[in-house]
Amino acid sequence: MAQKPKIRELLDESACAHNKNKKSACNAPTPGATTGGCAFEGAQISLFPYADAAHLVHGPMTCVGASWETRLTHTRWPGRDLTQMGFTTGISTNDVVFGGEEKLRQAIDYIVKHYAPEAVFVYSTCVTAMIGDDIDAVCRQAEQTHGIPMVPVHAPGFVGSKNLGSRLAGEAVLTHLIGTREPENTTPFDINLIGEYNVTGDMWQYTPLLEELGIRVLSTLSGDGRVANIRSAHRANLNVLVCAKSLISLPRKMQERYDIPFISVSFYGKRDTSASILAIATALGDAELIERTKKLIAREEDILDKKLAPYRKVFQGKKAVLNTGGNKSWSIASALQDLGLEVVATSVKKATEADKEKAREYLGEKGILMTNPGQEQAKIIDETGAHLLLAGGRSLFTAIKKKIAFADVNQEKKKSYGGYGGLINLAEDLKNSLQNPVFNNVARRAPWEK
Amino acid sequence: MGKITRRPTKPLQVNPFRLTQPMGAALAFLGIDRCMPLMHGGMGCTSFTKVFLTRHFCEPIAIQTTAVTDVTAVLDGGDGSIVEAVANITKKVTPSLIGLHSTGLTETKGDDLRGVATQVDYPLVYVHSTDYEGGLESGWGKTTKALIEQLVEPTSRTRTDKVVLLPHVSLTPIEVEKVKDFIALFGFEVHALPDLSTSLDGHLGEKQSALSNGGISVETIKGLADAALVISVGASMQPSAAALLKKNSEIRHRHCAHLQGLEATDQLVATLLEANGREKPPASVIRWRKRLQDAMLDSHFSLGQTRVLLVGEPDFLAGAGQVLSEAGTKITLAAATVDSPQLDTIPADEVMVGDLEDAEARQANYDLIVGNYHTEALAHRCNKGLVLRGYPNWEIVGNQLKNDLLYEGGAYFLCEVANAAETMRAAPH
Ligand code: SF4
Repeated sequence: MAQKPKIRELLDESACAHNKNKKSACNAPTPGATTGGCAFEGAQISLFPYADAAHLVHGPMTCVGASWETRLTHTRWPGRDLTQMGFTTGISTNDVVFGGEEKLRQAIDYIVKHYAPEAVFVYSTCVTAMIGDDIDAVCRQAEQTHGIPMVPVHAPGFVGSKNLGSRLAGEAVLTHLIGTREPENTTPFDINLIGEYNVTGDMWQYTPLLEELGIRVLSTLSGDGRVANIRSAHRANLNVLVCAKSLISLPRKMQERYDIPFISVSFYGKRDTSASILAIATALGDAELIERTKKLIAREEDILDKKLAPYRKVFQGKKAVLNTGGNKSWSIASALQDLGLEVVATSVKKATEADKEKAREYLGEKGILMTNPGQEQAKIIDETGAHLLLAGGRSLFTAIKKKIAFADVNQEKKKSYGGYGGLINLAEDLKNSLQNPVFNNVARRAPWEK
Repeated sequence: MGKITRRPTKPLQVNPFRLTQPMGAALAFLGIDRCMPLMHGGMGCTSFTKVFLTRHFCEPIAIQTTAVTDVTAVLDGGDGSIVEAVANITKKVTPSLIGLHSTGLTETKGDDLRGVATQVDYPLVYVHSTDYEGGLESGWGKTTKALIEQLVEPTSRTRTDKVVLLPHVSLTPIEVEKVKDFIALFGFEVHALPDLSTSLDGHLGEKQSALSNGGISVETIKGLADAALVISVGASMQPSAAALLKKNSEIRHRHCAHLQGLEATDQLVATLLEANGREKPPASVIRWRKRLQDAMLDSHFSLGQTRVLLVGEPDFLAGAGQVLSEAGTKITLAAATVDSPQLDTIPADEVMVGDLEDAEARQANYDLIVGNYHTEALAHRCNKGLVLRGYPNWEIVGNQLKNDLLYEGGAYFLCEVANAAETMRAAPH
């Protein structure tokens, strides 16, 4: 089996907070007690938004068959949106026995001929990694034949989690794309957005504001992304990491290699959006720009506040219980508070220490941090008189029993909740939930129940 | 019958709609009460499957993974991670059964599931379901067969009033229920294996348990061999019926290629009348037959001028193709996920195993598509009418309540397709 040394190195990457204490333990999933996607999925999430590139999954049908056309990562690429297409070698028993390299080569030729992409990303998966197909060699050859970048992505699912896969994807981009092309021109305010995938157009909620300030998004990884741009990413003045700890090794390596500083930001909720825009301006270090930015933020917050005023009346005095995971436990809480809701409890089950601290900071002393939300939330709803439960589908019945409104936080979202504009969408959706009589109506007892 | 292409002709699949055997296996296990499907492979396969089915059914889906890693993949024969997975699952919940099924990764390694099963001291059924062969339909079929082989107790007695129904994977939960109820109307006690009609039918359950909720019980499965009659629906279920007959050679077997349209339903009714010895079916059945006849006539004008592309599993294509063509619809192209003997029975000008790129290349040949979620973009791009059916169906709510079977479902289905065809023709292009 082809063992890629890079994978082993990345497993020890210090970006994984758990790694400080127990080496690589956080990458070993527990049989029978694991949820979450594989490394391939992480790589797919990070790279698929390049809509001008073809994404060829070298493996059997499982890997892409169940996952293509599932993410609403919008693009303005004028050509055919290759993100919303599925390409796979769909290997068969024959390929497993005799190797799948020839098939892969032919598949690449086919794609270049029929779809003329700007690049082809080739993803190895468990079976093709196991049988030892040399996708590096195939890509190298194909690159020579076709004259466009061919990027091998070594993130077969069995090497670890989604997070590791994102890191491996970043690694592939760093090795094969970044620094391979010079930009047509540069400005002092060129930035890269790393880890922003533009799901439901989240990115477009704030990029017009950056543009207005004279900040240019030179490239993205990978929301509304272009291969040509990421190839020039080494000429940016700043890397902006958006809500994606899993990709942190990329900006750090770019700092080492190209001397580009980086910051971490989030565009969820009013406070975070304002702070992030200001942080970008500050990092770019131009006094005039910072002044302009402060004015723009004041203006935007003012517009937002006016638009939110009617909603604030609806949310006045309303209490919410939030049961979700990871950084959502505080980032959604912050957005809810921006709307004028009181967040009485949030879940910190499986949260990192940093997330717990943040949650405490946002919820204040009185806020309840639930460590076992499944058990606790019903009681907390009773005790606090909460009006709204935001949680995954499994908790729906709790809300119905308690006759309070429910919003599914894991539901595939179709509209953006990001930036200032997204907050209005969130407010509208939550208002509709709170005012919907359905939760009360379905809780009605059947005539044969005592 | 028209031209049949049985294997893909390209080195890759572009916009694939084939789903995999492990997913079919997991789904079959979800039709068993309080079962924990355990997928043996990398954790991603399970995660994708879980998300996929959760979105399709709008229900939480119980499924676990053995989470094979590159290290365990090389070191052990699979037993380690399976044994550990069972121990971890049963620490938290008490399933009635563990449904162990493999994936491409563990089949490439050649893991000995049978050997491991003997090491595990817990009720467990195993099935080999690699994803580089077959598809959703065969994964479901193989699992049903494995359930029968490994659980059903042999007997030589039969109960004349007991019927076993073996539905193929493309039947929705409500369709399974409708067929069960239909058979029950003729005076039989009927058990479906697998049975999604009480597990993933979209009912509001009190407890969101970590296991499958509803479905046929393990006890009931064990006792299936005393049925007088087994009805298999779909070519993929033939081997399961054969497996049941091995448990009791006294069982009579009746195979239905599908249960859609007038002719197929008539045949089922004839079988049931023969089995219960009565002259006539219940009044409601007679009434629905007349309604279907009427719907065929009402829709024939629209359908007679409509050329349809059908996309889906072979057993689905046979049924949908039949009911539509009975009312004069021209099935110009049927795109199948995989090869199957069923392809020979599909009433279409052309039948092909392929992908949606192949279907798009033939867009001049059809006006309307009956297919899954992935056909929606195709329909938009090419200005085609669309009726959503099959896995996945993420766009419309209530897909588990869609019934196209028998007299009743056939009537609704024909009307729906005819209306979609008219809407399409009325739309400005
Ligand atoms: S775990 Fe491996 S086989 Fe499964 S989806 Fe991920 S890459 Fe594909």
